[in-house]
Amino acid sequence: MALSLSSFINPIAALLLFILHVNAATVTYDFDIGWVYANPDGMANRPVIGINGKWPIPIIAADIGDRIIVNAKNSLGNESTSLHFHGLYQNGTNHMDGPVGVTQCGIAPGSSFTYNFTIDQPGTYWYHSHSRGQYPDGLRGAVIIHDPDSPLKNMYDEEIIVTFSDWYHDLMNGLLEGFIKYSNPTGAEPVPKSALVNETQNLTISMEPGKTYLFRMINVGAFAAQYVWFEGHTMQIVEVDGIYTEPEDADMIYITAAQRYAVLITAKNETDTNYAFMGSMDEDLFDTVPATLNPNVTGWLVYDDKKDLPAAAPIDSFDPFDDFALIPQDKEKLFDKVDYSFTLDLKMDNLGDGANYAFFNDITYVSPKVPTLYSVLTTGDNATNPLVYGDHTNSFVLGHNQVVEIVLNNNDPGKHPFHLHGHAFQVVVRSDDEAGNYDPTAPPDMPKTPMRRDTILVRPDGHIVLRFRADNPGVWLFHCHIEWHVSSGLIATMVEAPLILQDTLTLPADHLAACKAADMPTAGNAAGNTINVLDLKGQPLPPPRLPSGFTARGIVALVFSVIAAFLGLATISWYGAAPLSKEEEAKLKRDIQAGEPQ
Amino acid sequence: MVNVFAVPVFFICFRECLETSIIVSVLLSFLKQTLGPERDPVVYKKLVKQVWLGVAAGLFIVIVIGAGMIGAFYGIGKDTFANTEYIWEGVFGLVATIIISLMGAALLRVSKLQDKWRVKLAKALEAKDSKSVVPANGRFKRWAEKYAMFLLPFVTVLREGLEAVIFIGGVGLGLPATAFPIAVICGLLAGGAVGFVIYKGGNRTSLQIFLIVSTCFLYLVAAGLFSKAIWFFEQNKWNHIIGGDAAETGSGPGSYDIRDSVWHVNCCNPEINGGGGWGIFNSLFGWQNSATYGSVLSYNLYWICVIIGFGLMGYKEKNGHYPFRKASTKVEDERRNSSSQGSGVLSEQIADKRAEAVGAGTNVREVRESPA
Repeated sequence: MALSLSSFINPIAALLLFILHVNAATVTYDFDIGWVYANPDGMANRPVIGINGKWPIPIIAADIGDRIIVNAKNSLGNESTSLHFHGLYQNGTNHMDGPVGVTQCGIAPGSSFTYNFTIDQPGTYWYHSHSRGQYPDGLRGAVIIHDPDSPLKNMYDEEIIVTFSDWYHDLMNGLLEGFIKYSNPTGAEPVPKSALVNETQNLTISMEPGKTYLFRMINVGAFAAQYVWFEGHTMQIVEVDGIYTEPEDADMIYITAAQRYAVLITAKNETDTNYAFMGSMDEDLFDTVPATLNPNVTGWLVYDDKKDLPAAAPIDSFDPFDDFALIPQDKEKLFDKVDYSFTLDLKMDNLGDGANYAFFNDITYVSPKVPTLYSVLTTGDNATNPLVYGDHTNSFVLGHNQVVEIVLNNNDPGKHPFHLHGHAFQVVVRSDDEAGNYDPTAPPDMPKTPMRRDTILVRPDGHIVLRFRADNPGVWLFHCHIEWHVSSGLIATMVEAPLILQDTLTLPADHLAACKAADMPTAGNAAGNTINVLDLKGQPLPPPRLPSGFTARGIVALVFSVIAAFLGLATISWYGAAPLSKEEEAKLKRDIQAGEPQ
Repeated sequence: MVNVFAVPVFFICFRECLETSIIVSVLLSFLKQTLGPERDPVVYKKLVKQVWLGVAAGLFIVIVIGAGMIGAFYGIGKDTFANTEYIWEGVFGLVATIIISLMGAALLRVSKLQDKWRVKLAKALEAKDSKSVVPANGRFKRWAEKYAMFLLPFVTVLREGLEAVIFIGGVGLGLPATAFPIAVICGLLAGGAVGFVIYKGGNRTSLQIFLIVSTCFLYLVAAGLFSKAIWFFEQNKWNHIIGGDAAETGSGPGSYDIRDSVWHVNCCNPEINGGGGWGIFNSLFGWQNSATYGSVLSYNLYWICVIIGFGLMGYKEKNGHYPFRKASTKVEDERRNSSSQGSGVLSEQIADKRAEAVGAGTNVREVRESPA
């Protein structure tokens, strides 16, 4: 599949967009979300979620200052849905953020829902369903926000959008059912069947000698991070997750699920060779690697389409660029005065149904009855009390403009990419593997201008420390962006400046209608209680904890076993101690007498 | 610990060795009483030497055969079991349970052997005395009579030894080779020691208590093995469900099927790293840190069977018939039939061996079958 570059930027369009920017244009998309069939890896034709009868789904492109309106109609028939615009801050429009059970109810089949917000940030983003484990079925696409005043605007000639992802052959609903089940007690995540680039394989990208290209790379996958490298070309990283960085050269980068990198690649002057580029799924994440799995997806930078497409050369080891070293171009200083710090201890464990769940501070996230934002708006002064958001939502109430610090200790031997809605955070500490928990009494040296992004990898049994200013009133999720772990509860809720939200936010009618269609309450605490909002009776609960040690059942069984054993031993002793029967003894005597010589 | 000391193997060795040493001690004391060093020192010495030669020869053959069997078993067997390990362990456990259950009752009656053997011995010597009267019985019989003092211990050792080899093979199928030596040696030493005490005139009552206690242990082991066999079958099923070896997940969640769990503690696992003290607890009493409905029910069911079985045998010994049945004519028939059997030493030994292998229930019949 060749990419048509001219469709993204050409001088006329750029000029047009510039004018629109000045005039604050409105960009409208009518999305009819429904099932279509696709076979992107050539191995399995399967139903995927497309838009307007097509898959891959459209790219959303706009300029800074534009208003984006997405009229989403759910034509899936069998699943509700929602759209989240990953990385967009949605300042002032928290209710357009998209996660079901947090800022909205799911869009029921047959219903429509309008997302309407303005953009004030440039860069590379993406949009995807934020309804239970749904986006890996195909509902994921790029969001590109152009910036007429970009510091990069004179540094490249063309822009190329490249998405990477893992790919399954089965629908997420079935996979999720098998994943959170007694028969998967170790919580082994389903292993993808293949890797895709731009929702296909063997992608070719035409290169013109001497030109410089801005590659906007997005991992839209469900699970696997990917190592990405271009043979014979160096990447110059200039943006991560929408934050311009000081340019840094890299031969290989590591893109976790949901991360984005914009890199400049300068074309060679010669056209005698075409070059392979690779995305390679990080197999460390997989419980078992099937022998049949090809973790790699190959594409080519094509200088001359009459020449061969050479096979990618094998590499000895993966040695990706460490994103912690990046410096934001705006040089925002380290937030060195923290107003509110809290710790999230991550672990995986099993609950009473035998399935494996993910926990922050021993709490696995369970979606409340009332979307948390709606609880904020309907609980009055109690909205500042985290209790109203339920016992199983890991809710933290943040004061307006506080500097907030999240310490995350990964007590799990897996890699996890963490994402915060509504913010890009400063990454002030990131440990190596096996570093254990963060010690706040002996903090390491922190970078003066820390890297900022909205999705960050925490290493196995390591920790990260993130800081951000709570300048965006709203309800924002903080979660692992491995879709399996979202489903198994690795989510915390940031309730930011709830009283300001009450003053500034009004819900549109179609948002309330969506709840009505889904038969979900729109007022009250997490349990839907509107009278006493501190009473959580009826709130959705996770499965009970695993019984530890002996329950009544075990004690009864053990006591019965012991009694049975003692009775058995008593019977044996009775039999063994019984004298020989009279008959026996008489016989023995007779025998002895008869046998005795003389 | 379980990997270097197999408890059932110990009890089997102990039992077989005790039986052998009782017989040998009866022979020796019989010789002492009838001939005595003072009465006919030359013949006495010769006969004592015969006895010990018989023991040594029997032991030698048993060791050769036993070593060959065990060697062959470990040479062929191990790898073929790897994939279906849990099924095999379960099957072996069942086999071991049946063997122990059947032979255990016989152990209780070892104390009677002294009397029985005294009778046999007397008969053998009697036959020897009267050999001039019946010379036509063939050379073999005459030879056998002449060397009775060699043949009796030889055959006894051979018989008990091979029995032990077969039992140990059955019980120890699932055990590593390292579990055998110490258990075998300890069993032999303990059996020999107790036999010696009996020879030196240890009293009947303490022997009886001793036998009861060791039989009780044997049945505890068997109950545990039975429960464990069921547990292995269930664990095999669980391994298939999760598509791997649950033991790899340690003792925690995921190592067991929550739906079948009666109790589970995340410690005290008898399967991991030999189990330590819990491993001994497991092989003696069938301890599981993760008990299932199957393992608990089978354990209790086993004891119910034992209680009923011993109860019936006890009742029959006391009353001559099973409960709810009249003292039947069957017993009489049996007596008549068996009295027609040959009374030679060897043939009686064969009958005796058969009866003993079948278990204690037949001991009653065995006593009856001797001609009055």
